[in-house]
Amino acid sequence: MLVTVKLFATFRDGRFKVEEQELPEGASVLEVIQPLNIKPEELAICLRNGKDANADTLLKEGDVLALFPPVGGG
Amino acid sequence: MNLEGRYERNKKTLSDEDQHMLGNSCVAIVGCGGLGGYIAEQLARIGVGRLVIIDGDRFEVSNLNRQIMATELNIGQWKAEAAQERLSRVNSEVQVDVIRGWFKEDKASEMLRDVDLVCDALDSRATRVMLERVCHQMELPLVYASIAGWFGQLGVSLPGDLSVFRLFGRGEQGVESAWGNPAFTPAVLASLSVTETVKLLVGRTSSLRYAWLQVDLLSMEFERFEIQ
Repeated sequence: MLVTVKLFATFRDGRFKVEEQELPEGASVLEVIQPLNIKPEELAICLRNGKDANADTLLKEGDVLALFPPVGGG
Repeated sequence: MNLEGRYERNKKTLSDEDQHMLGNSCVAIVGCGGLGGYIAEQLARIGVGRLVIIDGDRFEVSNLNRQIMATELNIGQWKAEAAQERLSRVNSEVQVDVIRGWFKEDKASEMLRDVDLVCDALDSRATRVMLERVCHQMELPLVYASIAGWFGQLGVSLPGDLSVFRLFGRGEQGVESAWGNPAFTPAVLASLSVTETVKLLVGRTSSLRYAWLQVDLLSMEFERFEIQ
């Protein structure tokens, strides 16, 4: 299945902004972030089709995943 | 000195009535670092009548790259006091109250007494979440901003919303610990924060309720995300 992965802020460093990825049916968010060397605890915000998700969320064909690191400075 | 024309260039972006409303408003700025300094500066210049600046820290040399209230002459001074001194020269019509201490839940009702709106300029994710909870209990609107490196986030949380909790409630330490905070990022995010603050104070609709603005100054992309 094809899933669009969007990375934001420092997640883009050395990776990409947006990429279409071919994933096995029933893959979870974890299977997207692991090859990108992003740990689940580094995910501050994870949106699947604009709605709250997390590393365990299962993905479907055509999903758009948006991943954000924690930005907390003042 | 005749300062009658002080707010002339606020027109017609702000009507006389808007200006009057700002003059009768009180904003608390929680954190007076990179974001909070610029927020205080702009709110004083635009004519918010009273500011409460809360910060328990003193200036260090490493603050000079971005914190507008920091100078080579005031290293070691309380940040909130330095802000008060500077703002008294910028706009003596503004009452600036300072609290030299960290924002604490058990002191919140005292710290935020007679405040109309709160600006979150903190650097701790956990304290941000606590501040939102306190603001909701006290029925206070909250404008929050955060920064790291080239990046920032901004939004508005009104009583009953859980926007800050949704954005900052999880994830480990922010990436600012590795990426630092260059001069331009707090200046941009503080300006955006003041924009939303002014809108709320004069009774306009906030553009960022149930949403946040994701700011990327490296690619110059400003993207809005709904909080669903």
